[in-house]
Amino acid sequence: MNLDWSVVWENRGALLEGAGITISLAVTTMAAALPLGLGIAVLRESRWRVIRLLTTAYVEMFRSTPLILQIYWAFYVMPVALGLRLDAITTALFGLIFNIGAYNSETFRAGLRSIRTGQHNAGMALGMSPFQVFRTVVFPQALRRVLPALASTWISLFKDTSLVSVIAVGDLSYASLQLRSQTFRVFEFLTAMAVLYWAMGYPQAKLVDHLHRRFKVTE
Amino acid sequence: MSLAPILANWRFLTTALGVTLALTATSMIIGIIVGLIAGLLRTYGGRVADVCIGFYVDTMRAVPVLAILIWIFFAFPIAFGTSIKPFTAAATGLGLHIAAYFAEAVRAGLLSVRPGQTRAAFALGMTRLQAIRVVVLPQALIRMLPALGSLTTITIKDTAIAAAIAVPELMRQSQIIAGQTYRPFEVYTFAMLVYFLLCFPIARFVDSRFVRLAHRGAS
Repeated sequence: MNLDWSVVWENRGALLEGAGITISLAVTTMAAALPLGLGIAVLRESRWRVIRLLTTAYVEMFRSTPLILQIYWAFYVMPVALGLRLDAITTALFGLIFNIGAYNSETFRAGLRSIRTGQHNAGMALGMSPFQVFRTVVFPQALRRVLPALASTWISLFKDTSLVSVIAVGDLSYASLQLRSQTFRVFEFLTAMAVLYWAMGYPQAKLVDHLHRRFKVTE
Repeated sequence: MSLAPILANWRFLTTALGVTLALTATSMIIGIIVGLIAGLLRTYGGRVADVCIGFYVDTMRAVPVLAILIWIFFAFPIAFGTSIKPFTAAATGLGLHIAAYFAEAVRAGLLSVRPGQTRAAFALGMTRLQAIRVVVLPQALIRMLPALGSLTTITIKDTAIAAAIAVPELMRQSQIIAGQTYRPFEVYTFAMLVYFLLCFPIARFVDSRFVRLAHRGAS
């Protein structure tokens, strides 16, 4: 086996551009999935049965099917079913946001439920409106508790962005696979791809461990 | 909307579902065996084992499954001058990936058994190995059940990624039928439903079992 690593260095621009798209996909998805998840979590506690049923169905559907299939579905079925034709990257974002939104909603729901009802009652007794109680009493405490779980979801999301390469979004994995077929330097580019993911993900995994220790709930 | 493409290919899809289940089972077996050993070594194996296995676990947390599968299938054979079947590559990659997560569950389970239990076992004249085997591990295994349940559904969903290295499982064969019949809507929606019917009951079943067994892990 003769290896030629110089070809990886020559194509560093394309690889780093792919890595940049990976990062921006993850950031955009999380930025949209946090409010979506919170909204769904609140709606699941709704007074109306229909709303509870619909949001539960959404969450369970997205949590029980593979993300890669959801992305395919968004890419091939959404245009047919809804007559909505979007470019690959927007489609990928839709798939990722709805998937991560479902997971975030479960995290928020667990966090909000973990705050004892006495806290809510105390807020009401002080004359706050239900929204004020939520905003100033319950939510800040819940957010602190769910931070480690959200960070874990972030790590999975960061890895899961690699799946958008199946619909030809030019992220790190797609860029590496393209370079592999153009140069026939299979070993070099696939190893470079794994190493780049590792270099980005490893420190994040360590940071998440730190957050888990820092915000551990002890009662 | 027509069910013809699914009805015409039902035998093809049933075989594909069989491959998905076989891949899930093989990956889980590899994951449980490797994960159990890694988790035990990391907890009781001293400093060096802790650092080495910690590195392995965090690497698996940082690198996407897609990158691992593609690397094992395309790059590994080049480096070692062998060839590897898609199913073997997928089972190895998914197994080693799940093993890292299971190792963490094992460690958390073992550490959750209070140290007083081990000390009591020593006081009764047990050796270290006996204390782990007879006292700590049985309790820890029951406490790991919920983690094992969610890892099973994660594995089922991750087998869909093996489509990228042409393992003839449900996702891959759905792509083929969708391409042949030009009916992506029906085929992908059907695949979505099948995955849902696989994952959703498993999660519920393990949870209900755990409720029945939880008292045996309590101390």
